[in-house]
Amino acid sequence: MKINKKKQQVFSAYLFILPGLILYLVFLIYPILKAFQMSFYEWSIMPGEINKFVGLANYGRAFSDPIVGLSLRNTILYTVVTVPGQMILALFVALLLNTITKGKVFFRVVYYIPVVTSWVIVSLLFKYLFQSPKGIINYMLVNVLHVIQEPIPWLRAASTAFIPILALGIWKGIGWTMVILLSALQTIPPELYEVAEIDGANGWQKLTKITLPLIRPTLVFTFVMLMIGGFNVFISVVMITNGGPLQKTEVILSYLYHQAFDFLDFGYGSALSFLLALIIATLSYLQIRFLRKPEELA
Amino acid sequence: MLKQKNVYMIIVLMLTLSMLLVGCAKTEEVATEEGEEEVTISFWHAYSEVEIEKLETVVIPAFEAANPNIKVEALTVPYDEFRRKLMTSIAGGTAPDLIRADIIWVPEFAYMGALAKLDEVMPDFDTYKEAVFPGPLSTNFLKDHYYGLPLDTNTRILIYNMQMFKDAGIEVPPATMDEFLTDCEKIKALGEDKYCFADGGTYAWAVNPWIWSFGGDITDEDITVASGYLNGESTETAYEYLKNLVDLGYIHPGILGGGVDAWGGFGNNEIAMLLEGPWFTPLFSGSLGTDYGYAPMPAGTGGSISVVGGEDIVMFQQSQHKEEAAEFIRFMLSEDTQLAMAETGQIPVIQSLLDSDYIKNHDYFGHFLEQLLTAKARTPHPKWTKIEEIYTLAGGEYLTGEKSFEDAFNAASESIDGLLVLPE
Repeated sequence: MKINKKKQQVFSAYLFILPGLILYLVFLIYPILKAFQMSFYEWSIMPGEINKFVGLANYGRAFSDPIVGLSLRNTILYTVVTVPGQMILALFVALLLNTITKGKVFFRVVYYIPVVTSWVIVSLLFKYLFQSPKGIINYMLVNVLHVIQEPIPWLRAASTAFIPILALGIWKGIGWTMVILLSALQTIPPELYEVAEIDGANGWQKLTKITLPLIRPTLVFTFVMLMIGGFNVFISVVMITNGGPLQKTEVILSYLYHQAFDFLDFGYGSALSFLLALIIATLSYLQIRFLRKPEELA
Repeated sequence: MLKQKNVYMIIVLMLTLSMLLVGCAKTEEVATEEGEEEVTISFWHAYSEVEIEKLETVVIPAFEAANPNIKVEALTVPYDEFRRKLMTSIAGGTAPDLIRADIIWVPEFAYMGALAKLDEVMPDFDTYKEAVFPGPLSTNFLKDHYYGLPLDTNTRILIYNMQMFKDAGIEVPPATMDEFLTDCEKIKALGEDKYCFADGGTYAWAVNPWIWSFGGDITDEDITVASGYLNGESTETAYEYLKNLVDLGYIHPGILGGGVDAWGGFGNNEIAMLLEGPWFTPLFSGSLGTDYGYAPMPAGTGGSISVVGGEDIVMFQQSQHKEEAAEFIRFMLSEDTQLAMAETGQIPVIQSLLDSDYIKNHDYFGHFLEQLLTAKARTPHPKWTKIEEIYTLAGGEYLTGEKSFEDAFNAASESIDGLLVLPE
């Protein structure tokens, strides 16, 4: 048997991606297809039971469920607040770190630590910080800073229960965005700044005319990634409020999780997950389509 | 050249396959020296620390010594995750052989068809049926069959902080709802950050004792309708009473959401009373030097009625070792095992043990056993999880003042009415 060199190379290339491909098919593609199938059924979790086909009923139900609307609103609120929050703060930190000469590595590590900590643990920590009436945040605000008179019932009031979740989302995400932006900043040739200085540009002009335009592709990339992450907010909600009080902080993922795993309504849960996927895919497409310039779409 | 390639290919394929197959590995049955097959049965539970130690160092070793061909693989699953983890494994066809299930889960699992009919699997089922308390046993019954046996039982009674009672000048714990209210007033007078009572939310385990003690209920006796019961007058009185306590700051606001570190507050003399089960004593054990006493649930117009808790042991239909699993059930219900677990605060379910010296002379079981005489069980219904969610939310909406009682509970009763009727 004789195989020519070219074919051999292609063959071995496939061979090497095979393990990853199989894992991808088994643990991602198969569950996605299965969930898609479930979303059209009144699905029973007992193996071997007959599942009732209900067509688009699960999808229809989502449109008349008031909690779906509420959780979608919360999911969007989370994205709208945490994505710019993370990007602005991360850009600020990245610019600072790009200019300092001493302790760069140290600060990079400090800002990156929240990223590698476990969501579950920091969620519990935030829940603890925001306890009321005797949590640390309340103590700081009332007894140390004297900003407010009475402790705020953070997790009990619908209006404030989402704040710890937003704060955690921003705090935990800064490090990742900062590292990406920092690497982009380091690709900007220093000559550009020197030239600008000779021409009399001030700091703000250098930022808006040189820095931001040159890291624009990276900004778009982080924007898209953070937005997808924002729509997938889940662990912090389940751990900090579990959707409460009175389902007021439910987000799409936590709500569909309750439907599927608490009430065993896997059909409805799957339908909700596909609706969310549809929203994310559309938004990501629009972002890339309109925010990237044609020459960046390589 | 080609040969070498083949070797690489085989290695890659083997690695790939091994990655995939690891998850599918099944515990092999090995033959013991006597030639008998050794069988491993899995047992999931949510025992507490103290209980796990007893289970793993005393109970299981004793069982394995008595049954050398059976190994018990006990797995602790935290209570909050238990149902979800179990559902996933049932769906995947990998359910454990046995679990220690909250009594309130059993009707749902049985209805789903996940459980083995214990009265068919165990030829000697009637012996056990007659040996245990009828109340806890009833939680295993669904449509002509028994799906499990009780393992332990419990209820919530009032635990009061003696120091705070002394500071407030309260001499005896409140016996009635009126006394409870006046005592709360005295406790609040100790300071703005002192609370009379605390509980974790408006779920059934927390609110049902109040509802029942005021003469209300969730559904009618035959569990066919909630309207007229859950939104009935007596239930309304109970919720009004609770709302008043919340509004006056007598109940810790954690009941409205966000939870509360009730034991911590109790230990720090910030919370005067709790409703607790028999596990409180061995787990709390005065770690902060707090002296406490026991009293029955305060009586209202419906009497002093608390909620029955406890666990059943159930076997799964998917179990490949039903006989061995049944053997473990028998062992868990033996007098010796029940007494061993009693040392950790688990109230036994064997009637004959009630007259044993151990139970008679027990420090605190007496308080709970007395309350158990009148305590009621939460609605045993396959849709319980959903039912509870509905009135937990309604309770929250009413207590926070977001909705009137009528608005919150008429809607809740109507939704629950719909759930109570099961398709044949």
